[in-house]
Amino acid sequence: MRDKTVKKIKVNEGRLKNWVSLDFRVGIAISLALVVIGFIMLVYISGFKDIQPLVTLEQIPAAKVISIGILILLLVPVIQVILSIIHFSMKRNRLYIGISVAVLCLAAISLVLALT
Amino acid sequence: MAGTGLIAGLVGSMLGVGGGFIIVPILTLALHLPIQVAIGSSLVAIVANACTAAGTYTKAGMTNVKLGLLLETTTIPGAIIGGFAAAFIAPSILSALFGLVLIYVAYTMVTRRHFISADNQSGDYLHLSEPVKISDNMYGSLTDSYYDQNLNKVVSYKVTHIPTGLGTSFLSGILSSLLGIGGGIINVPVMHLVMGVPMKAAIATSIFMIALTAATGAFIYQYYGNIYPLIIAPLIISIVIGARIGVELTQKVRGLVLRRIFGILLFLVAILMFLKTAKVI
Repeated sequence: MRDKTVKKIKVNEGRLKNWVSLDFRVGIAISLALVVIGFIMLVYISGFKDIQPLVTLEQIPAAKVISIGILILLLVPVIQVILSIIHFSMKRNRLYIGISVAVLCLAAISLVLALT
Repeated sequence: MAGTGLIAGLVGSMLGVGGGFIIVPILTLALHLPIQVAIGSSLVAIVANACTAAGTYTKAGMTNVKLGLLLETTTIPGAIIGGFAAAFIAPSILSALFGLVLIYVAYTMVTRRHFISADNQSGDYLHLSEPVKISDNMYGSLTDSYYDQNLNKVVSYKVTHIPTGLGTSFLSGILSSLLGIGGGIINVPVMHLVMGVPMKAAIATSIFMIALTAATGAFIYQYYGNIYPLIIAPLIISIVIGARIGVELTQKVRGLVLRRIFGILLFLVAILMFLKTAKVI
C-alpha cells in the first residue's frame, strides 16, 4: 500500500517535471546560441576593442540578435508556467490551474511593461 | 565582464547561491557601472544560471513544482514592487542595503549549516515514516517525493507552514529585484527549517522559483532602460560555463572550507560597499 502511494505521487508529478526540465534545457540552449552568435557578429563587425558596454540597440543594430537571445532566456520561466497550466488542465486540478494562471498574469504584467 | 560571470557561476554552483552577491559588487566596485545597471545585469545572469541548474534538478525529480508555483504568487508581486522601488531609491542607499545583506549572507555562510550546496548534503532531512495523504493540506496535494541517490530510496515529505512561506517569499521577491540577488538566501532556509521540505528539494524548488522571480525583476529593469545587451552577453555565456565547471569541482573541494573562505570574502566586499556609499572610494 505504502509503495503504491509513493509511486503514484512520483508518476503524477513526473510528466510536469519532464516538461519543465525540457523547457529549461531547450530554452537555455537556444538563448545561449543566439547570444553567442550575436556576440561573434558584433566582434566581427565592430572589433573587440571598439565595443562600448553602455550602448542601446539603436546605436548598434547587430546587438539585436543578442537581445532576442536575452528575451528568449527571460521567457523560459514564463513558458514553464504555461506548461503547468496545460498539465493541471489535463489533470482537472482547478486549484493549481488558478494558481498557475495567477502567476502567469503577474509575470505578464512585468513582461508587457518591459516591451513598452 | 566574462571573468565576473565565470567566478559567479563557479562559486555560485559550488555554494548553492545564485551569483548576484558576486556580480553586483564586481560590476559596481571594479567596473564602476551604475548600481541599477549592475542589478539589472545580475538578474538576467541569475536567470541563465538558475535555468541551467533547474533543468538538472527538475529532471532528477527534486523540484516541487506545485510549491514553487504557489510561493510565486507572492514572490512575483514582491519582485515587481522591488523593481519599481529600485528606480526611485538613491544608488548610495542601494549600495548600503546590499552591504547589509552581504554581511548577513557572510555570517550565514561562516556559521550555519543550511548554506551548503545540495551535492554536499548527506541526507539530513525530514522524511515521513508513513505515506502522505492527498487531502492533508488545504492547498491540495502539496506533497512530493524524489529518489535520493545517497540514501538509495524514495523520500516523501509534506509541506507545512504555508502562510509563513508565502510571507517570506514576498520579502525574498522584493530583495531579489531591489538588490539583484536570487532570493535563495531566504527561500532555502525557510523551506527547509520552517516548511519541512528536505534540503535537496528546498534548493531545487528555490532555483525553480529564482528563474521566474529574477526574470520578472529583469523585465522591470528593462522598463527603466537598465538592461544593456553588451554587458549581459559575456556575463550569461561565462556564468553558464562557470556553473558547469563548479558542479564538477564541487565533488573535489571541501564545501565547508570553501564556504568559510567565501563568507570572509563577502564580509570584505560588504565593507567596500559601505566605503563606496560613504564616497571614501
